[in-house]
Amino acid sequence: MNKMKDRIAGIILTLLSLLLTVGVKTLFSACGAKDDGSFMSCHYAEQAVFGMGIALTVISVCVLISGGSRIGTGCAVALIPAGAVTLFTPGVLINLCMMPNMHCHTVMHPAVSVICGLIIAAAAVHVFLSLRKRGERK
Amino acid sequence: MKLTESIAYRNVKGRPARSAALAALTALMAAAVVCGTLVVTSLQNGLSALEARLGADIMTVPASAVSKQNFENIVMQGSRGYFYMDMSYYEKAAAIEGIEKISPQLFLASATSNCCSVPLQIIGFDPETDFTVTPWIRKSLGGELKDLDVVVGNDLSVFVGNTITFYGVECNVAAKLDKTGTDLDTAVYTNFNTIKKLIASSIERGMNEFADIDPERVVSSILIKVADGYSVDEVLNDLNLHVRRTKSFKAKDMITDAADSLMGVAGIIGVLMAAVWILGLVILFLAFGMSVNERKKEFAVLRVAGASRKRLSGIVMSEAFIVTVTGAAVGIAAGLLIILPFNGIIEESMGLPFLLPGAGLTVLAGVLALAVSAGAGAISAAHSAHRIGSIDTGVILRGEN
Repeated sequence: MNKMKDRIAGIILTLLSLLLTVGVKTLFSACGAKDDGSFMSCHYAEQAVFGMGIALTVISVCVLISGGSRIGTGCAVALIPAGAVTLFTPGVLINLCMMPNMHCHTVMHPAVSVICGLIIAAAAVHVFLSLRKRGERK
Repeated sequence: MKLTESIAYRNVKGRPARSAALAALTALMAAAVVCGTLVVTSLQNGLSALEARLGADIMTVPASAVSKQNFENIVMQGSRGYFYMDMSYYEKAAAIEGIEKISPQLFLASATSNCCSVPLQIIGFDPETDFTVTPWIRKSLGGELKDLDVVVGNDLSVFVGNTITFYGVECNVAAKLDKTGTDLDTAVYTNFNTIKKLIASSIERGMNEFADIDPERVVSSILIKVADGYSVDEVLNDLNLHVRRTKSFKAKDMITDAADSLMGVAGIIGVLMAAVWILGLVILFLAFGMSVNERKKEFAVLRVAGASRKRLSGIVMSEAFIVTVTGAAVGIAAGLLIILPFNGIIEESMGLPFLLPGAGLTVLAGVLALAVSAGAGAISAAHSAHRIGSIDTGVILRGEN
């Protein structure tokens, strides 16, 4: 039961990272190509989030496998800055389209922000609980 | 005593499935309150912002424009589209008795702007006669709009000092307007000289539906303020009678549709919230009742161990409080995570003016949802708490009940 409890954070983090990776290419993708076939800048934000999503998924799987061990805690720590970079990719690091009523503003940006926010929060809670548990054991 | 050491907390933790189910139900109820309140308030704010910008009593447009899809949104909310009529109609309208102020406007939809493939609506006004756009442009600009200067709606990602190109004409961004929650937030405003240049350029490039117009001799709409002592209906009838091939409307009537839709949406949200709450309250009432019924012996033992009747009721009420407040907090957070970041897509799907309330009102909606949910939990548990406070310990421990 305790092992299962240790893995809950890993399961949540893996699901969120997978949702981000798959979702950014499907459910909440950026705006489509222009009539001439060229892409707007939000497309590159989508690509960057997809790449970061893969990295976040791999780290989250490491948290899932490692459970409450030190490696798992370390991986969860790594998820916090990685999640923050992904959070700031659309709109801050890579510009989105000018019109805020475009798909990249109304769907992609808020969805990426919410999911990354949840990943950061879940990772932070996992780190806090793991450290507290370790402190209690000592 | 710490909360985590209390009997109520241990009882909640000891039955994780039941507690999670009740918390999820309360979360749904709290989310319904916070989402419903924010959506209805945002719609009301959007309508108020639209009304505030209504400076004219009457609007006159070419009769052919009325058949255009989305016509009312073009003239009222800055949606994309354009139409023209000869300047002589403006002169005829100006000659009607009972008009205090009259000013023409010109519309043009840009083909592409320098950022992206989505066109913008460009609204041109005559600074010498305008009485509708200038007052709120002055708030942001603080002076007069020069030729080739534009004022942009709040939602456009361009800033004062930037340039923006339409049909090959480069314009300077002179100011940015306050948010209205309508398509006016993505529109561009400029003076008559600039928009005439843009229309001419669009015709030269073969990108204007009205290829044979003279930009110097056309207007898109005429805005009229009725003089004191005259009724709006009287002037409206005169305009419709004497200025042929045009159609005049009372400006307020044009936002009636938006107001009617708002009432409809508010009604649907109200019914959904009521349904969620009635169902939620019944389930909470039954769940707390069943939970206490199942645990009668447990409470009887506590009573024998010296717990007062008040203490037993307190345990039941505390359990309800912990579950409902936790659930409500999760529900409120989830509701805010849906409404605040996704307000753009909500606005688009509703097609109504949508202006989110400020931080103060948002916090108030959250606190209200928390209070109402905690209150609902307390009311649902009150009957069970009263029952457990009056149990006959002997009967229960003998297994006779």
